[in-house]
Amino acid sequence: MRLKIRNLKKCYDQKGIIENLSLEVDDIQVLSLIGASGSGKSTLLRLIAGLEAFEAGSIEVNGHNVIESEAVEYRKKVGFVFQDHNLFSHLSIFENIMLVLEKVHHRKRSEVEPEVKKLLEQFGLMEHAGKLPHQISGGQSQRASIVRALSIRPELILLDEPTSSLDPILTYEVLSAVKLLAEDRIDFIIVTHEIGFAKSVADYIVFMEDGKIIEQGDRGILEAPQSPELKRFLGKVLTFDGGSNVNSL
Amino acid sequence: MKKKLSFATAILIYIMFYIFIAMSALEKNIDFSAYQRYYKVILNGWFTTIAISLVALVMAIFVGLILYLMRESRFAVLYYFSEIHKTIIFGTPLVVIAIIAYYYIGNAFNVNSKFWVGAITLALYIGAYIADIYKGAVEAIHVNQWQTAKMFGFTRYQTYRYVVFPQVITGILPPLAGQFTMTIKSSALLAYMATDEFLNTIKTVQSISYRYPEGFIIVTTGYLILTVPLIMLVRMLEKKLNYKV
Repeated sequence: MRLKIRNLKKCYDQKGIIENLSLEVDDIQVLSLIGASGSGKSTLLRLIAGLEAFEAGSIEVNGHNVIESEAVEYRKKVGFVFQDHNLFSHLSIFENIMLVLEKVHHRKRSEVEPEVKKLLEQFGLMEHAGKLPHQISGGQSQRASIVRALSIRPELILLDEPTSSLDPILTYEVLSAVKLLAEDRIDFIIVTHEIGFAKSVADYIVFMEDGKIIEQGDRGILEAPQSPELKRFLGKVLTFDGGSNVNSL
Repeated sequence: MKKKLSFATAILIYIMFYIFIAMSALEKNIDFSAYQRYYKVILNGWFTTIAISLVALVMAIFVGLILYLMRESRFAVLYYFSEIHKTIIFGTPLVVIAIIAYYYIGNAFNVNSKFWVGAITLALYIGAYIADIYKGAVEAIHVNQWQTAKMFGFTRYQTYRYVVFPQVITGILPPLAGQFTMTIKSSALLAYMATDEFLNTIKTVQSISYRYPEGFIIVTTGYLILTVPLIMLVRMLEKKLNYKV
């Protein structure tokens, strides 16, 4: 992916959430945004998705100039996995995927059905395809959300803390699914608290605090952080992360 | 089994209470002969109640939708038009509206059919409540459903058609069935505008035969026959459609 962000500014109720943020990466497959809660990483992801308008600056993703009000076509090329899966609650898992493909991407049901079934199979969801979102576990819902994002054959997938509301076992389950994306050479940006996971899959890591990028670079920054902020953050996170099974992914 | 027994006991106590009240009101023996004589008129009134309630509900569903859309409109005049209508309806007893509608509004527009004035009055009244049901159902749709639709590139129409509307329908079915019960009960007030619905026909027979308690037994039972299945339907729908986001 190619991502160019210049002097980005985003406010909520006149309070600056992201202040004068710039970032430029090229030829990166997996970008991980890390940082404490409230650091602005999820907001940045939503701005990259074209879901929200910003006050100043510019965002360019793979050559698309992202402006919220004009981003309808751009958004169709981007898959998004929300924190709380956001599956349509009145539709089965299968229909959640089919609805997007049929109505937005105008693809014929008979053509896409085999593709969707293959994806559901790959992500271990085939036996749950006919169930409603509330009838399956949080981990399965999140995997279904990944399949939905993947089914549109996106240029890029954005994942906003896909494991934040899951217990360790379901977290492992979902991160294993995300890892499949990496193995399939799909470009994605993931906002995550799972440092062990970021370390194992990300090509590039961006650490944020108070709406600013404090440190960025390859996985090495997690091994040898330069800024006191990242050192402090890792110190706190890794204290409790030692036994986490995501490190073994 | 225990649940059924408790239910049967409670029902029995109610029936006994009902009979006790009816018996103490009866001067002589219970006598339904006058009502048997006029059963066709009474049955006609009962069917008129069903018809007027059905027609009123169908119209109210549209009145409610129009009021809701006006409320959501970008044009402030439409918004206030809807709000004023609802405020008047919420603040005025139906019986007062029924009398004014029949004697003055119906007259002004040259509508003489008691059935249609009654049905339209009920529709305008119940419609105000239904508008709020729509509003509640749309607001109950989680913000993430809108967001997801936006993210995946749904147009505004597609979002309403494929995401919002199906969820609103399941959300409004139980309260709509409840409103139908309300409509049937409220239709009794149309007796004040001399519509030949169930209560009015019973009142007519009462005044001819002077057998008042028997009339009330029939009228209560007649309404319960209509409303109890609806109340049970509401409960069943609430249970069945209660899915989580």
